[in-house]
Amino acid sequence: MDGVVLSIWVLRLAFLALLYLFLWTVVRTLLRDLRAAAREPGAELGRLVVLASPGGEPAVGAAFSLDAVTTLGRDVNNTIVVDDEFASGSHAVLTYRGRTWYVEDLGSTNGTYVNGNEIEGIAPVGFGDELQLGNVRVRLERARR
Amino acid sequence: MTLGPGRRIRPRLRRRELTLLLITAVALAIGSVSLAATRDLADGTPVVGDGLPFADATALVIYLGTLLAAHLLLVITGRRTDQVLLPTVGLLGGISLLLMERLPQDLAGGLGLGTTQLVWLTGSVAVIALVAAFVRGDAWLRLYKYTWAAFGVGLLLLTFLAGREINGQRLTLAIGPVSGQPSELLKVILVVFLAGYLSENRALLVEQSTRVGPIRLPPLPYLAPMVAMWAIALSIVVVQFDLGAALLFFAVFLLLLYVTTARASFVALGLAAFVGGGAVLYELVPRVQTRIDIWLDPFATASSTGYQVVQALHAFARGGILGTGLAAGLPEVGGLPPGGIPALHTDFPLAALGEELGLIGVLAILGLYLVVIERGLRIAASAADDFRAILAAGLSLVIGVQAFIIAAGNLKLIPLTGITLPFISYGGSSLLTNGLVVGLLIALSDRGVEPPPPPTARRGLRRVFDRGVP
Repeated sequence: MDGVVLSIWVLRLAFLALLYLFLWTVVRTLLRDLRAAAREPGAELGRLVVLASPGGEPAVGAAFSLDAVTTLGRDVNNTIVVDDEFASGSHAVLTYRGRTWYVEDLGSTNGTYVNGNEIEGIAPVGFGDELQLGNVRVRLERARR
Repeated sequence: MTLGPGRRIRPRLRRRELTLLLITAVALAIGSVSLAATRDLADGTPVVGDGLPFADATALVIYLGTLLAAHLLLVITGRRTDQVLLPTVGLLGGISLLLMERLPQDLAGGLGLGTTQLVWLTGSVAVIALVAAFVRGDAWLRLYKYTWAAFGVGLLLLTFLAGREINGQRLTLAIGPVSGQPSELLKVILVVFLAGYLSENRALLVEQSTRVGPIRLPPLPYLAPMVAMWAIALSIVVVQFDLGAALLFFAVFLLLLYVTTARASFVALGLAAFVGGGAVLYELVPRVQTRIDIWLDPFATASSTGYQVVQALHAFARGGILGTGLAAGLPEVGGLPPGGIPALHTDFPLAALGEELGLIGVLAILGLYLVVIERGLRIAASAADDFRAILAAGLSLVIGVQAFIIAAGNLKLIPLTGITLPFISYGGSSLLTNGLVVGLLIALSDRGVEPPPPPTARRGLRRVFDRGVP
């Protein structure tokens, strides 16, 4: 076979091989990312990030990883203790039911607000929504994955 | 959108991106040499003169230089963002550059096909880099979704009324010296609007439903926008004959609805409505009828309406498994008969690549699109709130679905609709908008950006005395 034709063949195959080298390198990166994500505890269903808390407990910027049922209030038996003088002992409960989060006001004195609107009974909460209990404002975020 | 006060910019190396860009550069250089050598051999000119033959080395250097500059900008601004998307898209653009340089240059007026495509590609990479480096928040998208939607509908109406008609399709809008295809920008606006709308109403869409017999419908007040979407998609078909855009918009809408609610019944319902609408259009609109008939049997009209599809199938067949090699496809490829595929550079680049790179090459290209989708969905999965998750999923699906629609159309898997293959087809509107999409995806992969606060209405609080909390 002619040398030129042969080298063109080599070039063509090298081009195709490099396309696959690129894909292989990318896939390796993606797999490493996936494994790193899998190593993190995966039981988290959502996160609660504290935006404002005049009382200092919980601290501003703190992030709580949520279980399927999370109670909030001034009482020390709550999952998340909200030390605010405008919050009730058992203020509200966050529940995850299959597809979405819900917040229920447990008859608090000052009520529970979702994005500034006072809720009556139980209300759905989306990721990115803001809750207010007394003076404490928190935001529901998606779990880190 | 701007840098906040006191924010310090600290450069951060992006090793993965650099590695992938190096592979891209070597691959494109070898592709260019292979292309030039094959062409010289066919022309009868000596293949090896002084040094290696490159097909238009200047264009390649300019393109790779732009990619490197984009990488450096991202390094300097130092955000923890995705490092895979830029090289992946860069490789797709490079393949496009090789293809456009080798097609008949008179397909585009003025500078010629290859040079014009180079200009748009560098523009696209610049858009990616600037958006990825400087878009820090999403409030400008999130808070103005209805404004964006109104802008999109206005753009659509303007095209209906004042668009320039090319080949019986009214797709191009020219304002002064600037002309473009608004449907490309519309797909981004659609995703932004849907992300805003669905994230706001997600809880309600998931929770409530109206039951009609055994079928679960979305709650009635939320059905209206969905019906509106369906009507818009069908009106695009009727007024503009733009089947591709209609299919793309509706598919992305259904996918996002599924991403948001995880209800397969909504999607099934939407599909049924689309198929029903399509069946009516098949009877009423001759153009739709032609397209479907071509799809069912292109060989029946192989020398008239089915010509394009039949030639594309022949091109794939000639390519075989390894392909004929770059520049070794049929010489008349892209030109008019004999042997060429009409609108090759916009609608059928995959057929040309299938001929020259073969099955192996086409699979690699489809793999690159899969990488874009995977990265987008990963970014969506790790987003902090619903808006950003749906936005990222929508942006990556727009590219994925568009690539699927035109690739499957080229291969006669579904009826052919004339939309562009992202980052490979010739055309400025397509390249710049897809650059915007990828730039936004990279910017969204930065989890450190705070979402804007929702509106709060605070009322007077009563102090609690009733419980004995110390």
